[in-house]
Amino acid sequence: MKGTAPAEVGLDPAYVVATESCLPQHLGEVGGKAVGLGSLLRAGQRVAESFVVTAAAYRSYAASGARELSPAIREAVGRSYSALCERRGAELTVAVRSSATVEDSADASCAGQFRTFLGASGVEEVLDQVERCWIAAFEPQVRSYRADRQIDAEDDGLAVIVQELVDARAAGVIFTQHPRTGDRSLVVIESSYGLGEAVVGGEVTPDLFEVNRITQSIHDSRLGAKPFEHRLAPDGRSVKILPVDQGRQRAWSISDEEVMTLLALAGELEAKLGRGLDVEWAIGTAAGQQSEDGGDALFALQVRPITAGSRQPTAVSPNRDAVDHILGRLAGRGPGNGP
Amino acid sequence: MTQGRRSFRNPFDLETPTGAEGWESMYPSYLQFGDELRERDEQKLWFFDQMHNPEPLYPFDLMMPESWLVSLNQYTTRVWNLPTALGIEHRIVNGYLYLSPNVIDDPAMRAEREPVFLERARHYFDHWDEIYDNWVTKATDCIDRLKAISFFPLPDREPMETVLRARGTTTAFDLLTTYSRYLENMHEMAYYHFEMLNLAYGAYLTFLEFCRAHFPAITDDLVARMVAGIDVILYRPDAELRRLAARAVELGVGDSLKSGAGPEAVIGELRASAPGRQWLDELEAVKDPWFYYSTGSGYCHAKRAWIDDLRPPFAALSDYVRRVERGEDLSRPLEPLRAERERIAGGYRDLLDDDDAAAFDSLLALSRQVFPFVENHNFYVEHWHHSIFFNKARDLGAVLVAAGLLDADDDIFFLHRYEVYRVLYEAEARWALGVPTRSEYTWRKEVARRRRIHAALEQWNPPAALGVPPEAVTEPITVTLFGITSETISRWLAAEDADGLEDSFAGLAVSPGVAEGVARVVRQVDELDELRDGEILVCPLTAPSWSIVFARIAAAVSDGGGIMSHAAIVSREYRLPAVAATGVGTRVVRTGDRLRVDGNTGVVTILERAGVAAAGAVGA
Repeated sequence: MKGTAPAEVGLDPAYVVATESCLPQHLGEVGGKAVGLGSLLRAGQRVAESFVVTAAAYRSYAASGARELSPAIREAVGRSYSALCERRGAELTVAVRSSATVEDSADASCAGQFRTFLGASGVEEVLDQVERCWIAAFEPQVRSYRADRQIDAEDDGLAVIVQELVDARAAGVIFTQHPRTGDRSLVVIESSYGLGEAVVGGEVTPDLFEVNRITQSIHDSRLGAKPFEHRLAPDGRSVKILPVDQGRQRAWSISDEEVMTLLALAGELEAKLGRGLDVEWAIGTAAGQQSEDGGDALFALQVRPITAGSRQPTAVSPNRDAVDHILGRLAGRGPGNGP
Repeated sequence: MTQGRRSFRNPFDLETPTGAEGWESMYPSYLQFGDELRERDEQKLWFFDQMHNPEPLYPFDLMMPESWLVSLNQYTTRVWNLPTALGIEHRIVNGYLYLSPNVIDDPAMRAEREPVFLERARHYFDHWDEIYDNWVTKATDCIDRLKAISFFPLPDREPMETVLRARGTTTAFDLLTTYSRYLENMHEMAYYHFEMLNLAYGAYLTFLEFCRAHFPAITDDLVARMVAGIDVILYRPDAELRRLAARAVELGVGDSLKSGAGPEAVIGELRASAPGRQWLDELEAVKDPWFYYSTGSGYCHAKRAWIDDLRPPFAALSDYVRRVERGEDLSRPLEPLRAERERIAGGYRDLLDDDDAAAFDSLLALSRQVFPFVENHNFYVEHWHHSIFFNKARDLGAVLVAAGLLDADDDIFFLHRYEVYRVLYEAEARWALGVPTRSEYTWRKEVARRRRIHAALEQWNPPAALGVPPEAVTEPITVTLFGITSETISRWLAAEDADGLEDSFAGLAVSPGVAEGVARVVRQVDELDELRDGEILVCPLTAPSWSIVFARIAAAVSDGGGIMSHAAIVSREYRLPAVAATGVGTRVVRTGDRLRVDGNTGVVTILERAGVAAAGAVGA
């Protein structure tokens, strides 16, 4: 379960690492989210910039008993945040999310059990939010979840991702196959206004698009209820929940063209990362990252294997030829003939 | 009634429409509900055969369902020994044809039939191409022999030749024997019709179910597009019209065809010029066989073929000439269609794991192998053969008119084919006697009575189904051709409850896309003239030859028809949203209503009723 720490970014031991360097074998140190983001970066996707505070940092914090950040950790996080701001040419507003080393794995998805804070800016606020992620890991419901799954929190630790916030006009989730029926011909897209938190956290009923990837056409769509949205405040330093007016509630949160762009993204990611993905995405702006025409750009924020939804059982045994299948069906042994 | 299960109306409780009293006397008793089998029959599902017989049956036209009652069912029951099914029964209710499949539930009987079935059906699959080639020869030969059959009026005096050749029998005897050969010819063609159809549908259905198991959201339309042939003779009649339109423009006679003056006037005008005569020669050259193209399903004599009524093809020619003059290329490019078919099939295949992909490939290949029969038999049998068959009946009608027994050629269609034997005997007797007989009065009177009854039956609205639905519908012909599944039945039950007042209803999604527009309810082919550009066609059934209006409509909704019905095959060709098997469309929708037709989900929504006054006149 324990991985080797990835290439060091700042100090020794590696309390902070570059997201690009997070490989699947580092899961135990950087968590599933970071591994997913790492794979997106290496796949050449447009991803919001980030760095990862490792499980080593968490263990050192938990072991100290002092419940306060050591100078080494403050130094490592501070330096990485400053470097990020420097690259962007501004003091960045970021999201701080826990990336549990047990979360996001294919057989134990507990998405949402951990903490996300949107809109931290300045070193002190970032440090404060990293610490709050760690404290949240001690909360009773997380501990109970871990106990049920026989997961040892102390041993596995907890990583934290600090990621530049995309000022999303719309965001949501792509399932590269139907999450319930396992139908691989459908790409299912959920979308709502503002940051993806509203969709991922189940706060709104998102717009739903089921897209046939073969005909490149919308197979089914359902307008959601989207009474509010998370948006970056005008000063760019915090995230606010704003009401959505009636007109926008009754409109689709993304255009048909954007649906097709998301469909293309689903195809690209599956080609690079394998089948059956769950992708968080946002359409909006991040400092210095815009689409070629200067408008909103599409960002992949997160990717993981779909955990729910099993494929239908194989209808016929693969070793029979077509005539056998057909004769079997006509003889009443095929599907649709009941038990 | 079975407890806990919803039922349709009991077929024994239906009222006779006013003016149609005595309708039973037009039809044989073995095709009617009777007290002897009441307990059994009222516990079965009977569905209306809207696809083949949307109108009250003419007694003579019963030849068609009665032929397939024996040919299709003999194949199921006695030739293939299908382990799961016995024959599909027929009942006539208020002049309309209802059908009921029969499933074998007894495991012992299934087991007993299975090895026989497997051996026999495998032989056909293993030799499919060879058998199909031979099938075309048999069918064409049967058509040639039908063409050679002629009915001549009885002469005033037997020809001298009978004496000189000392033949012994007379022309009246010829009339009887020719009629026998004529009926036998139809019977023979009915066997060919169903010789390969059960197995072909079985192959298709197996592939369809395989696709649905792996891709629950796949539409029937997409499966059909993967399988359907590209170069199919069912499209030829329309393709010939497109070619003739282009030729007319080349020859400089397009204006005559555009005039809209009606076929006779147009042909008269064309005869006046050399290029016009050239074009007419080219028209003549394609008429046999491509104008033997019925405006109906080929099961009713009243739906004439193009060869008999040039108005539908000339209306299409007028439209095509306009399009050619606008610079459109009307030819149907085969390569892009082929590429599209491969792209869809390849797309689905690539989503499967290796073993499943191998099964997909072999099922698709076999479905494609059997599919030319499914698509092409329709032209050979229903269009070509049946059109000639009905025309020969008119010739025989003329013989009976000349013999003084009937008033009009078409009167013959009010006589059952076995009654015609009796009428022929009476004609022969009258010819023999040379004095007045009662026959000149009895049949005229009987036909007049039947005409009145038939007209009254036309006013009746046959329910989509009667009796008690089974737990599940699995019989391949019922599912594939008639589009009747457990879901169809639930929809019909729901529609019965709503009694035609709901603002949306569902059917089978047979051609994808979504369209909105104004509805035009069309029950007969001659009402197609009223159709305006951009309207949504709402009809009992879209026959393939109606396809000439498809260039002008926004979508099609039909009461009947399955995904493999003759109509669905051609609808997809036109890439129009289409919903079939709604069971209620023509009853619920009124001309002028604004509709949305969703060919992806099969849902038809009435967005706006045509005027408040019309909406108030429900049930009118």
